[in-house]
Amino acid sequence: MSTPDFSRRRFLGLALAGGASASLAVQVKKLPDVHARLAPVGGDRQKEVVEARYGLVIDTNKCTGCQACVKACNERNDLPSDLSYIHGRVKGDQHLRWFLMVQCQHCADPPCATVCPTNATYVRDDGVVLIDEKLCVGCKYCMYACPYDARIFDQERGVADKCWLCLDWVLAGGEPACVHACIPGARIFGRLDDPDSTVSQLVASGRARPLRPEFGTQPAVLRYVIDDPAEQSTRGA
Amino acid sequence: MHAEWGWLAAIYLFLGGLGAGAMAYAALFELSGRRYEGDTCPEVCPVTLVGSTVAGPLVAAGVLLLIFELGAGLREPWRIPLMYTHPDSVMTWGVWILTIFIPVAFLYGFLELMHVYPGAWSALTARAAFLRNLRLRPIKRIVAAVGGVLALAVATYTGVLISEVGHAVPFWSTPLVPFLPIPTLPVLFLISALSTGEALTIDLAATISSRGQAPRGRREHFIHLGLITGEAVLLGQLLAHAFLEGEAAAQSARDILIGPHSIVFWVFIMVLGFIIPFIGHVYAAGRGRHQPVTGLVSGISLIASGLFLRYLVIVSAVHAFL
Repeated sequence: MSTPDFSRRRFLGLALAGGASASLAVQVKKLPDVHARLAPVGGDRQKEVVEARYGLVIDTNKCTGCQACVKACNERNDLPSDLSYIHGRVKGDQHLRWFLMVQCQHCADPPCATVCPTNATYVRDDGVVLIDEKLCVGCKYCMYACPYDARIFDQERGVADKCWLCLDWVLAGGEPACVHACIPGARIFGRLDDPDSTVSQLVASGRARPLRPEFGTQPAVLRYVIDDPAEQSTRGA
Repeated sequence: MHAEWGWLAAIYLFLGGLGAGAMAYAALFELSGRRYEGDTCPEVCPVTLVGSTVAGPLVAAGVLLLIFELGAGLREPWRIPLMYTHPDSVMTWGVWILTIFIPVAFLYGFLELMHVYPGAWSALTARAAFLRNLRLRPIKRIVAAVGGVLALAVATYTGVLISEVGHAVPFWSTPLVPFLPIPTLPVLFLISALSTGEALTIDLAATISSRGQAPRGRREHFIHLGLITGEAVLLGQLLAHAFLEGEAAAQSARDILIGPHSIVFWVFIMVLGFIIPFIGHVYAAGRGRHQPVTGLVSGISLIASGLFLRYLVIVSAVHAFL
């Protein structure tokens, strides 16, 4: 009689332990918010003084629309497959097809920050725009206000979310996951405050320009090389 | 972009407009003295009684719905007070306006009820001695004046909120006059709010309360005809400008006129919101008062179409083409 009793108790204990470890595993899998991930590299909101100006140039002549950047970004940020910080658009006509990959442009005058009722979105000195998740109420106003449609809604946390330029890697001397993953080398990352960097030279030569500057948001980090004549004549991009 | 705001936001904008419109009409009747005129308001004035008592609850219900639309704010409500803290944001202005409007509206409703039921007021003053020397009517006038101004602010704010997105959703920021930075939606929503408020207080409340002998007065019906016509003209102008602007704005206008939202537009806004109430009000203006049928039908159809108008504007948002 005692054996089944013991085994039942043991089974219950095992089940409890299994359940606890499973829930722990779920908690471990869920990534902490951006600020917690930045803490080890000193990305605190208050004491941040950085001279760096980061630049990310996307050369649309080289982009093949392979979505490697999207996959790397989703993997890096633990996003579900139907959501991404980067969204692609197919441009051009049947003779000349090209791809425009859009993510947060890290504007100097971001409308998402202006409309935010809780001040959760802010611009860092190095030009990167971040969301302080602890302040976000999830009203989704910023998602409508961003002309680049760069914001997504994190249902799990109930907050707005977007590209944060993989800032923990960048501050530690690395580059964003999308740049690292880009197979045709269409994404070039560097510092705009360093005149010798490739991004600075592309910007200085006038080849790399902000996307749709007429929105007036002054994109600070993202620049695009677009050679489609139709695009330039209609939009002056 | 996926449509992030849906019916909840549409109902919130609608309730904000309806409550503000009802309040505006109650305040208008109070301040102009028509509340005390026997031929427009026999015995108890239904316009001020209904207008003042429903305004607070309607707008408060809308705000509750808005809270349910929130993500993290719903799960951790202590984040909601942060919405008072960013004066650059139109939403912060709105939160302030609503915070002041709702208690004023409730106070006005309370004062109006006390005025209508003097027994309750004397029972209250018997218990609270400090109220005994208060004279209801002058206080009510002040509260009505403050509430009326706030009501116009609430009604306009619902339009400013969504037109403020600028380049991101070109249809929402379509200008009233080409090349002028005044958007159409705040004006359209203000007129629609006044129209639904008049539908609730005059078409419905005044018609029902007088059991088929609606108060006389051609002026209301002509004003209401003007509001309905103005709303139709503004909506037509909004769509025309959207086509002129092209790209995403034109896409929104196409979706509304011949696309996925065309049934909402043609049936629930054109027929229900313009044609039916227009006929009802022309008839009422001719006779000088509503018949029970014209009052009920135009009141209900106007209020329903006010909700569909907000819904249509919300779901027809198309993000700027890149």
